[in-house]
Amino acid sequence: MTGKGSLRVMLQVALFAVVTFVFVSPASAIPAFARKYSLRCTACHEAWPVLNDFGRNFRDNGYQLRLGKDDTVTAEPGYWPVAVHVLPSYTYTKVTNQPTDQGTKTLGSGGVGDASIDLLMAGVLTPNISFLVVPTGFASDGNVHLESYWAYFSRVIKNSDWLNIRIGQFEMDLPASSHRNLEMTDSYLLYSYHPSVPGGANISAYDMGENQRGIEIVGHDRDSLTRYAISVFSAHDSLGSSNGLSSPSFYGHLQKYFRFNEGPVSQFELGVWGALANYPTQFLTSGGTPIPGSGSHLQSSTRYGMEANLWLGPLVAPLHLDLVYGHGKDKQDLFAGTADRAGTFNGGFLEAIWVPPTDLLHWSVFGRYDVIRNQNQPLIAAPANFNDQNQWTLGMKYTIAYSIRDEVALHAEVSSNKAKGVGDGGLDQRTDSIMFGVDFVY
Amino acid sequence: MFYRVGQLIPVFAGLLFAAGSATAAGTGSVKTGKLVYERYCLSCHGAEGNGQGEAAEYMAVKPRDYRQGTYKWRTTPSGSLPLDSDLEHTLLNGLHGTYMPTWRALDQRSRRDVISYIKTFSPRFATEKPQDPIVIPPDPGYSDASVARGTAVYKKYNCSQCHGPGGQGDGPSAHELKDDWGNAIVPYDLTKGHVKCGDQSTDIYRVFMTGLAGTPMPTFADSMSSADAWDLVHFIQSLSPGYAKNMMAAAADRKTGATQ
Repeated sequence: MTGKGSLRVMLQVALFAVVTFVFVSPASAIPAFARKYSLRCTACHEAWPVLNDFGRNFRDNGYQLRLGKDDTVTAEPGYWPVAVHVLPSYTYTKVTNQPTDQGTKTLGSGGVGDASIDLLMAGVLTPNISFLVVPTGFASDGNVHLESYWAYFSRVIKNSDWLNIRIGQFEMDLPASSHRNLEMTDSYLLYSYHPSVPGGANISAYDMGENQRGIEIVGHDRDSLTRYAISVFSAHDSLGSSNGLSSPSFYGHLQKYFRFNEGPVSQFELGVWGALANYPTQFLTSGGTPIPGSGSHLQSSTRYGMEANLWLGPLVAPLHLDLVYGHGKDKQDLFAGTADRAGTFNGGFLEAIWVPPTDLLHWSVFGRYDVIRNQNQPLIAAPANFNDQNQWTLGMKYTIAYSIRDEVALHAEVSSNKAKGVGDGGLDQRTDSIMFGVDFVY
Repeated sequence: MFYRVGQLIPVFAGLLFAAGSATAAGTGSVKTGKLVYERYCLSCHGAEGNGQGEAAEYMAVKPRDYRQGTYKWRTTPSGSLPLDSDLEHTLLNGLHGTYMPTWRALDQRSRRDVISYIKTFSPRFATEKPQDPIVIPPDPGYSDASVARGTAVYKKYNCSQCHGPGGQGDGPSAHELKDDWGNAIVPYDLTKGHVKCGDQSTDIYRVFMTGLAGTPMPTFADSMSSADAWDLVHFIQSLSPGYAKNMMAAAADRKTGATQ
């Protein structure tokens, strides 16, 4: 093998490792609340870590039950609002049509990943002021970063639930949370996808599923059956513009839940959402390097769409179907001069979570199907279906033990992604993954 | 192969759809109610419904033991079983100052199902029927004069023996009280701006007339006139600094809750 060839293989292996590390990131569940309120994880999570109605309402209320036991001085003196979440796992990933010196090959890599941990710190500082801080990392590279940090002011005006304010770094109010989803080997394509020029660049790094820094205004009715969220934020990985706010970006979400007291459908939800993430495309430079904060000529990545959720069977052990559709557009100038026009696409996913009605609700079975279809390729000469993607995930989780202190579960999952024309020589590329893990939080 | 397996997902979803069970119309499903209980109630009230869940030992106010069919909050007379609507009232409102939260965010079907299941813990529900709810006359209205009369009623019925002269739950007997299960029980502090069994004036009135089954709080139905009871309600309300605000919030919650 030549030195150049070895480098390529090493890069591919490194890519797999990164994919494994990024995708197998722990999802959030916070047993500090279970300890504080003497409730099991199942009280707030339909299938850990996906929130159920009670959990959603608890979160909307700023992690308060509002019965005189919320703020820290009313909790037991030994209570400490910290939880630890770890997911040791084995993951194997195989990618087809990779370039090597020996020709186009399928490359695979697997092993027990370098697991990171989440320190989940959340609670109520004083009535109607709550917080969340999540340092994550602590893997062998020694890196730690704050995944989330925010303060939340509930009932800002006249004891009304319709105006609450969050400030800090937080996850947008998404149609399906990308931090509390069950799937570990892949991510929601709709949230992270960008049209692309073959071999080219895209300045926009907007990912709906990534936490953003900014301010969020949230409102809801008493039971969180009608909700809205509006966020103003600085899109991540943006060098910033020269205006007062750093590349102001916007996200909004409106939801309405409908409940049925009889029949096979117990609940239905409809929602609309939209995002406009701005990135500067022209900068002052120093030695040819853009100077942060000097950007201008803002260009946008827009995403908008709607969602529908359906719960079949009793809400306590439902078959929950979540259908999300979205349209995306990245403006031409985001492609750094390599595009003929703006890139547009349609995409979405259908996610199913089934909690079998067995004793103590130990099981959850889940699956998701993601689709991306490009509408206008930014490069007119590119194949119309370049980087169109289909992806599916199937998995199950068995909770070995619940308590008011901790939870431990076994997690098994397979997934497959197929992308048109992105492999070596313009071939389609398929990425298959399989993963087994022990998910525990305490 | 992986990709082809993915084509089976719609079939899988169809099978799950067929497996989805519906709740019977009108009454709660005991079978589903067991799942609701396991999801939300088990950690405190225990698998046997005996109030000995894993969290119980850490609680000052112990979770209810369902096996006797005795419930603190009822609209029915002392000694009677509660109505289903009484149990739902507790689910909707929670018990302020305890670990029993409000379960308003649950759908009505789940509440109905878990009530059906909770009733299976006591054989009384199979052999007895709840008595009719007590009749509560209209509230004559909060006034300073009524509060003054209520002060006298508070003394007349020796409420301070347990609740203390200022209503702070620190009367001479406060530390000697036990519930029917032998657990130490603390009289409610009436100055906190909330009342455990509900903030509505009728909720407070009702407690005097029904008592709190399983606790030392007796019924005064045979000895207290309705006029005295309303004066006592107003006196208790006067002990709460946030009385007016809390009463209005409770009324708004009640109005909204009735629509679900």
